[in-house]
Amino acid sequence: MNPFVPSPDVLPIPAPAPLFEALLHLTFLVHLLFMNALLGGGVILLASLSTRGGDRELHETIVERISKLLPTLFAGTVTFGVAPLLFLQTLYGGFFYTSSILMGWPWFATVPLLIVGYYAAYLNAFRGRRLGGGRRWAAGVAVGCVALVGFAFSNNTTLMLTPEKWGRLYFASPGGLHLNLGEALLWPRFLHMALGAVAVAGLLLALLARRERADARLREALVRRGLDTFLAVTVVNVMVGFWYLLALREDVRRLFMGGSGHATGLLGLGVALSLVLLLLAWRVRTVPARSLKPLAWATLLTLAVMILMRDAARAGYLAGMANLQEIPVRTQALNLAIFAVLLLGGIATVVWMVRKLLAAPSR
Amino acid sequence: MNYPVWEVPMGGGVLMALVSVLHVFVAHLAVGGGLWLVLAERAARRRGDAALLALVKSQSRAFLLLTLVFGAITGVGIWTTAALISPQALVALIRAYVWGWAMEWVFFIVEIAAALVYWYGWERLDERTHRTVGWIYFVAAYVSLVIINGIVTFMLTPGGWLENREFWTGFFNPTYWPSLALRSAAAAAQAGLFVLVTAAFLKRGDARAADAAAWATRRGALWVAAGVAAFAAALLWYRSALTGAIPDWADLAAGAIPVLPRVVTVMWAGAAATFLLALWPLAAPRRWHPAGAVLLTASALVLFFGGEWVREAARKPYTIHGYLYSTGLRVDQEPEIAAAGVTAFTRWRDPAAATPAERGRDLYRAWCLPCHTHDGYNAMRPFLAHRTEAEIADFLPRLQHMRARMPAWHGDAAETADLAAFLAADADRGLAVFPADPGAAGRLAWDAHCGTCHTLDDYRALRPSLAGSSREDLEAMLDALPDLAAEMPAYGGDPVERGHLLDFLTGAAGADPDRSAE
Repeated sequence: MNPFVPSPDVLPIPAPAPLFEALLHLTFLVHLLFMNALLGGGVILLASLSTRGGDRELHETIVERISKLLPTLFAGTVTFGVAPLLFLQTLYGGFFYTSSILMGWPWFATVPLLIVGYYAAYLNAFRGRRLGGGRRWAAGVAVGCVALVGFAFSNNTTLMLTPEKWGRLYFASPGGLHLNLGEALLWPRFLHMALGAVAVAGLLLALLARRERADARLREALVRRGLDTFLAVTVVNVMVGFWYLLALREDVRRLFMGGSGHATGLLGLGVALSLVLLLLAWRVRTVPARSLKPLAWATLLTLAVMILMRDAARAGYLAGMANLQEIPVRTQALNLAIFAVLLLGGIATVVWMVRKLLAAPSR
Repeated sequence: MNYPVWEVPMGGGVLMALVSVLHVFVAHLAVGGGLWLVLAERAARRRGDAALLALVKSQSRAFLLLTLVFGAITGVGIWTTAALISPQALVALIRAYVWGWAMEWVFFIVEIAAALVYWYGWERLDERTHRTVGWIYFVAAYVSLVIINGIVTFMLTPGGWLENREFWTGFFNPTYWPSLALRSAAAAAQAGLFVLVTAAFLKRGDARAADAAAWATRRGALWVAAGVAAFAAALLWYRSALTGAIPDWADLAAGAIPVLPRVVTVMWAGAAATFLLALWPLAAPRRWHPAGAVLLTASALVLFFGGEWVREAARKPYTIHGYLYSTGLRVDQEPEIAAAGVTAFTRWRDPAAATPAERGRDLYRAWCLPCHTHDGYNAMRPFLAHRTEAEIADFLPRLQHMRARMPAWHGDAAETADLAAFLAADADRGLAVFPADPGAAGRLAWDAHCGTCHTLDDYRALRPSLAGSSREDLEAMLDALPDLAAEMPAYGGDPVERGHLLDFLTGAAGADPDRSAE
């Protein structure tokens, strides 16, 4: 047993662990959708801002649409990032806090980075046109900050899985200046997430284009652009996915290669789904009139499978150190019920407000 | 103890204070400002005042940029920083209150969504729906405060939770309601501040715009003045609740926690300055000026800084009062650690540590660093400069008798020797030099020894027992300190320091009360 793994807290958790796991996965899925649209949308925006020549109207439409959306996507990403962080800390607090402390300053830096990136996104949205060439800088800062925050998360969520590294890092320097750059898992994990974000954002661009009231040619060009992005990035990402698999610690990789039915099944499903995604995207790409819905649902399912795979990998890394079944439970049924009612009411309220806004004509 | 301690030169607590005060400042504004926006929008529409409506709209944009970005992200920043500074406390707070946080999160989502829809809806929604969205924003923001207030006050006065561990017992704890009153008043004052700052920096434009700005300015000033007055009234209620909930509160306020009386003063000074400054725009709204807005913001920041610091200082040395020490040790673990020694509770020990000072460094990080720094906030090196290794070793087992409500040190003889070895090696002897001014030198000599546990006139006041003593009496007393009480360590100052201290004590024995020496 690693001496630096914190002893579990004596206070019970106020509901069975599987409920918190479910909430963690569910809220993380929503966070992921917003984050993908934000980071991936930002990358597509930067690409359009940097492209000279080509279809000017297409690029300008992309720039306008995405620029307007970015701040709201920022809000969604942060708001829906809070909940999975809360539930992660409920279940894995000891591991997460230790790795956070080891990388104290880079971890703390996520706060100013988010503030700067968020303001840059607003600058680009509110003043973009007037900025001229400076617009590329504003968008670049926004996307760069988001990417750095994502990188800090990748560092932290991999460092929390490897307590065997902690002691050496801390006693070398207790000032919290570490990252997890020596970790084999770091780059494939970060790239897999970042590329996935660009692919999903490509798909979202195509979905949004279908609602575009502009002329048919532009609409089609936007859909094509979105799907091309989706296809190209996903092909690369399938390869990065295999790199990710190879980078897993051997005992954990074996879980995905037959050692555990759960993990192996998830991997099989994930691989199959990625092929289905490529096929579905290709079909719409060749016949643009086809519906995007099957592709959208398959993508959502792929994201969900990916979340469960990450969870299986985490369980593998922390096997013997974090046993969720052993956490004492004292269920607070009333509070759970209040939360459920509030959540439903909150969702209904948000849906009502957003529908009112979207239904209203722009005056 | 359970977690590594992050070595931040200025002190982790300072970083936490910086993030949280800035957040709390904007968060209260985010609550009160929401109410201002809907009320001002309604007034503008009722009066058919297009200029006022335009003013409210431009305010709502500043509001969005301030609260959604800075307010929300610094809120996340509190979590981030707390996990780095007090992980053990955060674990406990999450375990006990995860459903509270989850409920608050729902209101957070509604609040953020409503703020966005309110801003983007100015041109698109009908008046009624727009105002409804504004009300939804305000209600969600206020309920967020209502929930977080329960958890924050729980940390200071957990009350019956310590016995029954019940969510709602800890939530509606002894300071819940007065604190809610305080924060509600602060939110109103912050809304007024927001109005005054935006109005001051707004381009005045034509006469109608100037009228609208004056209308808003006068009301903003009223909100600030009334908010601060209500804050002061609620503070008296809060103080009486604290007196009931923390039995030795009178001692704490009298200087048992040295910083507490000072930050109480800072808070009152901030409140008074904010109130007085608000009278200017109240009396002459058309002469309200950006310079006034800057001063008002600064004084309100002083008020918040003082207020939050009072709450933090009053909680020393706990992160959850009566349950968890700042070091991460639970109160119920004390008998166990007293029996087993601190090493068994120090998870982060360097396997390569071989010398006493190296082993002591690990103990220092685990047990001192959570609250102290080398040279930054609550610095130890200047204090240690006046003590030899033997004195430090002699003093460590008496920590719980110090002012500042230090938790007890449970090290055995070997552990105490290790820690003393590190502290003595780490001390900066250069800091032991006394200033040329005899008054300042005497005060330093007092602060370095007697002042760590006593004050002259308030908490554990020494002046009454010094009164009338001659220098010879005082010298004899210094030589026989352990005979006075078991808690007193022997005095080990060198002849220079001893001379300065005797000068100071002789003065105190005969002179008028000099409160500044505390």
